[in-house]
Amino acid sequence: MQTTVASEYSNEIHSVPIEHRFNPYSDNGGTVLGIAGEDFAVLAGDTRQVEGYSIQSRYEPKIFDVGDNIVMTANGFAADGVALIDKFRQQLKWYKFDNFGGKLEIKSAARYIQHLLYGKRFFPYYVSTLIAGLDEEGKGAVYSYDPVGSYEREQCRAGGAAASLIMPFLDNQVNFKNQFIPGTDGKEKKPLKYLTLEEVIELVRDAFSSATERHIYVGDGLEIKIVTKDGVRTEYYPLKRD
Amino acid sequence: MAGLNFENYQRNSYLSTKGFATPRATSTGTTIVGCKFPGGVVIAADTRATSGPIVADKNCEKLHRLAPKIWCAGAGTAADTEMVTQLIASNLELHALSQNREPRVITALTMLKQHLFKYQGHLGAYLICAGVDPTGAHLLSVQAHGSTDIGKYQSLGSGSLAAMAVLETNFREDLTKEEAIKLCADAIEAGIWNDLGSGSNVDVCVMEVGKDAELYRNYLTPNVRSQKARSYKFAPGTTAILRESVRDILDVEETVVSFDQMEVDTEA
Amino acid sequence: MFLTRSEYDRGVSTFSPEGRLFQVEYSLEAIKLGSTAIGISTSQGVILGVEKRVTSSLLEASSIEKIIEIDHHIGCAMSGLTADARSMIDHARVSSLTHNLYYDEDIRVESLTQSVCDLALRFGEGAEGEKRLMSRPFGVALLIAGVDKHKGPQLYHAEPSGTFYRYDAKAIGSGSEGAQAELNNEYHKSLTLEEAELLALKILKQVMEEKLDCKNAQLASVTAEGGFQIYSEEKTDAIIKTLNEQATDEDTVIS
Repeated sequence: MQTTVASEYSNEIHSVPIEHRFNPYSDNGGTVLGIAGEDFAVLAGDTRQVEGYSIQSRYEPKIFDVGDNIVMTANGFAADGVALIDKFRQQLKWYKFDNFGGKLEIKSAARYIQHLLYGKRFFPYYVSTLIAGLDEEGKGAVYSYDPVGSYEREQCRAGGAAASLIMPFLDNQVNFKNQFIPGTDGKEKKPLKYLTLEEVIELVRDAFSSATERHIYVGDGLEIKIVTKDGVRTEYYPLKRD
Repeated sequence: MAGLNFENYQRNSYLSTKGFATPRATSTGTTIVGCKFPGGVVIAADTRATSGPIVADKNCEKLHRLAPKIWCAGAGTAADTEMVTQLIASNLELHALSQNREPRVITALTMLKQHLFKYQGHLGAYLICAGVDPTGAHLLSVQAHGSTDIGKYQSLGSGSLAAMAVLETNFREDLTKEEAIKLCADAIEAGIWNDLGSGSNVDVCVMEVGKDAELYRNYLTPNVRSQKARSYKFAPGTTAILRESVRDILDVEETVVSFDQMEVDTEA
Repeated sequence: MFLTRSEYDRGVSTFSPEGRLFQVEYSLEAIKLGSTAIGISTSQGVILGVEKRVTSSLLEASSIEKIIEIDHHIGCAMSGLTADARSMIDHARVSSLTHNLYYDEDIRVESLTQSVCDLALRFGEGAEGEKRLMSRPFGVALLIAGVDKHKGPQLYHAEPSGTFYRYDAKAIGSGSEGAQAELNNEYHKSLTLEEAELLALKILKQVMEEKLDCKNAQLASVTAEGGFQIYSEEKTDAIIKTLNEQATDEDTVIS
């Protein structure tokens, strides 16, 4: 047992073991965010990819249109993210073969991704996954996952490097958390309402430009994929490159 | 008591065996450079301070004054560069006073390296030291363990490779003052764009033989924040007022004294 | 049909020089020995009707299972070697449940039928070295009835050969020839569920040797609202009663 004994440098406690094992994971930074509206949903992500203090790419998109009006992202370890999305795309094809070309509903896609993630329960994909699209009633839907497949449908969610910076902002601006009707002395909450697509895009741009200011893994560009009943549309906005 | 206090050292290394993380010090990521030109020397730095992946300060000062004409750019642990620099600045002034001479750059450098060597690298200070003194213009650097280098152009910090690429490409012996400033600023910009540990603005300090040193704080500001798309002003009352109390911090008493009641000493 | 036995009778997966797989063709014959089963698809839902051969007065009729649930939205009726149907239905149930687990939705009736038929040809080694599951083809045919949100009420006929077709109305088993002829006459697109119940029982009554009652006949329905349901004896009895009344009415008109 190690104790706090008076010692000279010769018997200093070398407490931290040095790791020599190969580490199969790395962190490629970046941040993503999804918001569901009444008849639309958006997934947004910055386009910077990093390794340590270096920028690997200033434009490496990580939001993908996987088909059937579903957009997907898996942020964290980039190789795992790409592998997961490729697997999902492949499975979507199989679904079409097995189901006579039928459309994969977003809730079915959501459930299937849970199984993809949980299938690697003890060697997980190191990613935070988001998908967005429209549900069977045409309402915007965002589903979010932890690395091993626990999932939930939500109005909004941020993932990746600056998730902890963006999520409280979204809570306040999308779900009106901690906002009350003036004059009610904090008794009546500000009522929830669907944001318009224009408002959502403004929030997303502000969230990313702010995250860029304070997180070194975020920047270079912002790519937003917007899902409506008419299909998937992409918008791009530059971000600071420092 | 002089020097640093180590009384928590053993306790903390014991705690780290129990899984308590040691607190992280601010900033190792930085780009600093220096370059000489006939008749002077220029140093420059970026202004980003980080704590892990978070930007702790968007416009910090990494150019420190050791003496009026000796300046120093610091990379490494922010607190160490700050404290070491202040200590040496103080000792340098005492030295100048006692010797009745302008301090020399080599003196500052010697004091720095002796101090840093004493602490065996535990003080994470990596400095580029430059200035003009009666012996001319000098550009030197010190590593945390106490080793020093001399060179016509130097770079340090996580952005040093990006900066050095620019210095190696564009340095010439016959640089003018303006060209030297431009070269240093370009080298720092390379760090700002290509090194995640560096960012925001460029600070420059020029020291010319026979002239006062000139500090150009925020010489370049290539990273001005764009305007936000929305306004985030909240109407008053959006959050509840939990408690309200008004306190008098001063009791004001008023008394009126009429003149006729005043006792006037008429005898003189 | 097959008057001469040949060596091509022996290997289950050996083609005859005429390009036939005798064992598969024989398996179709086994179905014709089974009791009659009828399926009728209407816009409101699908009706399944079967004859149960109560071979002894001591036999507990309720223990004869010829209509079985696969999932809440799919059921099936069978004819032939009903024991063989067990493994098909097990497979179908696993497919349906697994689909629901993976996709959080009901499996399509057509997909379910396909997955049952995939099993039908597993009596020989597969091309990709799949394990040989059975020594011979199935001796049973299924009428798979179900509803899904994509195509509504559907009826499929799955054969031991592994092929399947969708039908508006289909009869299998010993009385299938007569029953199918009657279905062809009587079926129309605007049939209601009640009319389909009566039609199923009416045809069974015609092709059965025994007198139709609630013990030797069974009905089931699959509808969007109620899913798969096997009719109770009381309910079946009531429908038989209506059927008999209609028959007497018609007799009176004629006389």
